[in-house]
Amino acid sequence: MDRKVKVVPCSGIGKVYGLMAREAVLEAVFDLCPEKSETVCLGYIVTGDKEVKERIEGFDCITVDGCPKMCAAKNVSMAGGIVIEEIKVLETVKEHKGKKFGSPTQLDADGEAVTSEIAAKIARKINEIN
Amino acid sequence: MAEFKVGVLSCSGEECLGGTISRLATRKVLEELKLVETVTLCLPLYLAGGKEERNFAKVFPTISVDGCDKLCAKRSTEKYSGKISGFIDVSKIIGNENALNTKIVRNRDLKDQHHEMVDKVTSEIVKMIGSISPDSWSGKSFRGCSCGSE
Repeated sequence: MDRKVKVVPCSGIGKVYGLMAREAVLEAVFDLCPEKSETVCLGYIVTGDKEVKERIEGFDCITVDGCPKMCAAKNVSMAGGIVIEEIKVLETVKEHKGKKFGSPTQLDADGEAVTSEIAAKIARKINEIN
Repeated sequence: MAEFKVGVLSCSGEECLGGTISRLATRKVLEELKLVETVTLCLPLYLAGGKEERNFAKVFPTISVDGCDKLCAKRSTEKYSGKISGFIDVSKIIGNENALNTKIVRNRDLKDQHHEMVDKVTSEIVKMIGSISPDSWSGKSFRGCSCGSE
């Protein structure tokens, strides 16, 4: 059975932090831990379909959220995922005061760099779990 | 009198290129369309948010933009919020093979051909917005969400 850690970002569309969450997760699952992790569409999880619940329910999950609404963490939890770690983009962003990260459409160089930092945090957690 | 606004709601799916295209095309409409004001909402807020978020499709005539034929944004909007005014299935515009590409998903991996796909989908969204009657807007207020989607 596939026991890859499920890593789910909010992909929020209104602010750059949603894009940072999305790109960080994709870097972690594509580049840093492809054998140990995968992502699942949050929009699919929202539907509540049986197929997606089966992919989440009882699995170790890491969520990455761009705003305090914590959409990824809440939706994964509601779908039965075991949320091992809730990563908040804003916590990392706070360590980089004064930098411009880009827009919800495109990251600037600083945005890319901080996103990679978040991806490394995700990867560390994946390696701890799996 | 309040201005007519249209809601555009993207699936933003993380597993395949179609989701990325849906997100970028929706952003492009929000940023560049000047004739009609557009607003959006993060899809997972239907469950993570409150009544205000679930009123989205009741307040605005809403178009869903989905990356694949699972139509998650369409179905979730209809399930949690209300009737939609139209829907876009990106896979019908860029082809199923492209939409379900799981190798190229990140913004940084997109090439010119993918940006052309974004433009095609954007055009279809704009066309659909143009077909919506201003009478379909309830005119009610919507405060938007804390992520700044509106």
